Amino acid sequence: MATVETSPAAGAFVRPDGKEKVTGTGRYTADLSFTGMAHAKFRYADHSHAKVVKIDTTKARALPGVVAVVTQSDLPDVKFGGFVQDRYLFAKDVVRFEGEIVAGVAALTEEIAAEAAALIEIVYEVLPAITDFVSAMDEGSALVHTEWASYGRDENILSTGNTMAYHTIVKGDADAAMAGAEVVVKGRYVSDSSQGVPIEPRAVIAQWQGDKVTIWSSTQVPYAARAGVASTLEVPEADVRIVVPLLGGGFGAKCDLHFEGQVAALARAAKRPVKLVFSRQEEFVAIAQRREGIVMEFETGVTREGRLVARKARLVLDKGAYCGEGGFLGQMAAMHACGPYVIDNIGIESYLNYTNSQPSGSVRAPTAPQVCWGLEQHMDEVAAAIDMDPIELRRRTLIEEGAEGPTRQIFDQVGVKETLDKAVEMIGYGRDLPDDEAIGVAVGWWPCMPAPSGAYVQLNGDGSGTIITGAQENGTGAVMAMPKFVAGELGMQPEDFSILYQDTAAAPWDMGSCGSQTTFNSGRAVLAAAAEVREALLDAAADSLEADRGDLELADGNVRVKGSPERSVSIAELAGAGTVHGKGSGDVPEAPECDAGGCVGRLGNESFLAPQLITQAAHVKVDRATGVVRVLRVAAAHDSGRILNKLGADGQVYGGVVMGVGMALSEGTMMDDQGRQRNPHLLDYKLVTCSDAPEIDVEWIEYDAKNAGPRGSKGVGEPPQVPTAGAVANAIAKVLGTQVRQLPMTPERVWAAGRGVAR
Amino acid sequence: MTATFVSATTLEEALSAVAAGARAVAGGTDLVVGARQGKAALPDAIVAIDRVEALRGIANVDGALVLGALVTHEALVADTTVRERLTAIADASAIVGSHATRAQGTIGGNVMNASPAMDAGGPLLCFGATVTLRSTAGERSIDLADLWTAPGRTIATPDELLTSVRVPLPAAGTGSAYVRLEYRRQMEIAVVGATAVVTVVEGQITDVRIAITALSPTIRRIPEAEAALVGTDGGDAAVAAAAAATAAASTPISDVRGSATYRTAMAEVMARRAVASAITRATGGSVPIPASPALHGAK
Repeated sequence: MATVETSPAAGAFVRPDGKEKVTGTGRYTADLSFTGMAHAKFRYADHSHAKVVKIDTTKARALPGVVAVVTQSDLPDVKFGGFVQDRYLFAKDVVRFEGEIVAGVAALTEEIAAEAAALIEIVYEVLPAITDFVSAMDEGSALVHTEWASYGRDENILSTGNTMAYHTIVKGDADAAMAGAEVVVKGRYVSDSSQGVPIEPRAVIAQWQGDKVTIWSSTQVPYAARAGVASTLEVPEADVRIVVPLLGGGFGAKCDLHFEGQVAALARAAKRPVKLVFSRQEEFVAIAQRREGIVMEFETGVTREGRLVARKARLVLDKGAYCGEGGFLGQMAAMHACGPYVIDNIGIESYLNYTNSQPSGSVRAPTAPQVCWGLEQHMDEVAAAIDMDPIELRRRTLIEEGAEGPTRQIFDQVGVKETLDKAVEMIGYGRDLPDDEAIGVAVGWWPCMPAPSGAYVQLNGDGSGTIITGAQENGTGAVMAMPKFVAGELGMQPEDFSILYQDTAAAPWDMGSCGSQTTFNSGRAVLAAAAEVREALLDAAADSLEADRGDLELADGNVRVKGSPERSVSIAELAGAGTVHGKGSGDVPEAPECDAGGCVGRLGNESFLAPQLITQAAHVKVDRATGVVRVLRVAAAHDSGRILNKLGADGQVYGGVVMGVGMALSEGTMMDDQGRQRNPHLLDYKLVTCSDAPEIDVEWIEYDAKNAGPRGSKGVGEPPQVPTAGAVANAIAKVLGTQVRQLPMTPERVWAAGRGVAR
Repeated sequence: MTATFVSATTLEEALSAVAAGARAVAGGTDLVVGARQGKAALPDAIVAIDRVEALRGIANVDGALVLGALVTHEALVADTTVRERLTAIADASAIVGSHATRAQGTIGGNVMNASPAMDAGGPLLCFGATVTLRSTAGERSIDLADLWTAPGRTIATPDELLTSVRVPLPAAGTGSAYVRLEYRRQMEIAVVGATAVVTVVEGQITDVRIAITALSPTIRRIPEAEAALVGTDGGDAAVAAAAAATAAASTPISDVRGSATYRTAMAEVMARRAVASAITRATGGSVPIPASPALHGAK
């Protein structure tokens, strides 16, 4: 069993990039400028769905101060997309959502660029906008991509018409088991889409020198951006360098090739550096990265003793106009419709459907918070149907070591039951509360994402060191913790190291700041590189001290003979001129064995490596007369394996819970009948404020997880947001006596549910 | 693009700039923010009036509080007379926008922006405020009730500048409250709001003013609701009748902030809470300032 204890490696660690960020000396992409630099503006589609008959840029080009106008006709005929190649940098023949870029302009000032963009004349043949992502899959529906069948795609993506990807998770015979179940419960839940809303709107600057381009970009995935620029402009990756200055948040919204290609094309045409900085509205509308809307239908067969004999679910997800990196969303959603529960028979289907609206993608734990919100309310409904306390039902059904997963993977040690017990204890579940207050509980999970990475560690002549990593810092502090790892490996101090990062010309490929993978994979590579340095130092010290290598240890900046600290040589001395270096990648953990033979669309998420497990309990107060909900307190108990930096990990939970409260209560993108956003600004897209943040208590369930990352750690960045909305929902349902079946659970929806009014 | 920008230091300078066609800017929380959001471009000529000394300060003159156009929301919340005698204004000023809005935004700009969602608008209207509009040609005094004509529109001519707002202090035994529907605890805009100013003499309500915010094209009083309450003892039934009359007289729109159905229902809730809080304050009871957050979960 897992045990609750504090890891010795945990403790306060103040990140080295903190001071420059809070004092305002840090430089973000929008802060940079270059000699001769021009400014970019995009001309966006005038319709959500239309054929582009003609683009006339004559007037725009003639405007004084305009230095370049670029359309797709100026570029190689190359489509891009992570799983399905369905998109051009600039619209070619068809525009498919309001934020689609038809042309780019570079001019001497932003104002001239904006004026020129408006002068571009475009003749359209307007097509009906396909905005209902459920009816989009009806037979006979008009198509978002009439050419879908001809697109390049991942061999495991099964597409049909508007369904970009179809997935199933299958175990046993769910139909038969459901038919024979003692009690069957059904529930339908609908999640609206929402947004990542990084406070830094994105910015891109491109500068060519000869055939090589350097691009400064506010991206979470510089290597993916490099690959995208290389493929769409048909230049070698070696000639494309992506540098990320400080990044002002991402939350997954900056996880793809986003505008680096367009700006590079403009800069090449202008023969000048070109800078693009988004307005807040562009950040809402133009990004290809919204949290997907999902319609969820759950059906669960259960015994009166609380054994889950069957789970069926049908999930329909709104992909928006293009694939991007989000081709896996349907399979991920299907795994979350199972949840971290032991279920005898499973039949989940998911449909990831194209619509004429903003593309959706990986916003913090993509699909998990929405599906967890629906499933955890459904679990409370199942508990009610068998007259069992919902905590007891979860205690009886959550996974544990040796349990079988949705595709029969056998779990190693997991601490999910301990997270449940801990969260319930922390919140004081079961105590008497006023009748407008209640406590709700939800449980969720998220996989560790195994991926290759590579890093270098070098020692400089004065004994300081430099860590060179492809890892990207998105604000979590994950990269900032790396000096601590390396220093620990080499008997040095974290302050001895600087980090060279966020520069594709400096370090080997890395997946980027996504999938909660930085410590898991990039950390592994950095540790492997540090181990090489350690070996080199031991070799050199063994010579210098005329000692046996096995008798040496690294401590306090020296290599010394164990038990005879006077026989020692400083690491600075061993570093010599500064040529001691190591490189490493480490072994990428393998996905757990499973039986996914019956599953359609296997992209790698059909089993969960070293799952991170979370229980959150929310104490809420509902104003019944208005439907306004205040979250008073959240108790969060998490299994993320060993915690390597408690200050940073706690911070991820605080942020994730606050984001989860926003998603639960106020953050929703509203669309009109053309798939256009109705609230693309911070006045009416309601983030929660500091004043709305509940009291948040955090506990970590720690043990040495097998198959985990460095030093027994798992990921920590995404899971905190997974169960928050579900916990809040279950608390609201207890006060109202009925579920609120649409997310966000706005005051009006809570009020309507409380009055029994169907909306 | 802004062609001219003048920073006036005297009222005369400000008035001649306005007479020449400049738009006045003080806190900039509507004009500048609106331009950045693309609501309306910045005017070609701007005159900054934030350094005009004559437009500052709160003065108690002949039984009325005279608020200079540059008085900020923050200053209103901090003023003892406002808190004690014109409490609804403090309720409203304490919850306008964000901390930054309250420190920067002025009452003069707020009134002339003529938003039906102006928080302090209902309280000023119910207290019978008048405004002074001045131009190089002279000045006139206008009842606030006559100033606003439509969302964003007033009867002021382009050469006129609001110089002060005069708020008569109410009779002894008067309590007031402004209550707003708040989706979150900070940085909100009124979706539904209600003001009540109630005078209670020997257990009987002798005077009532009730106004609605964001429920009609301009902020306005609801005579039917006032009639339902005046002459009563202010008990639950009378409060409920006034609240129902408020909702019935509301003509809200449906938009991203809420449906007309919900807004109408919330008009009743906000009116009930405002009237009940005003009566509590009139009769010596305590409701914290601002009232809105304190009333989460109230009847």
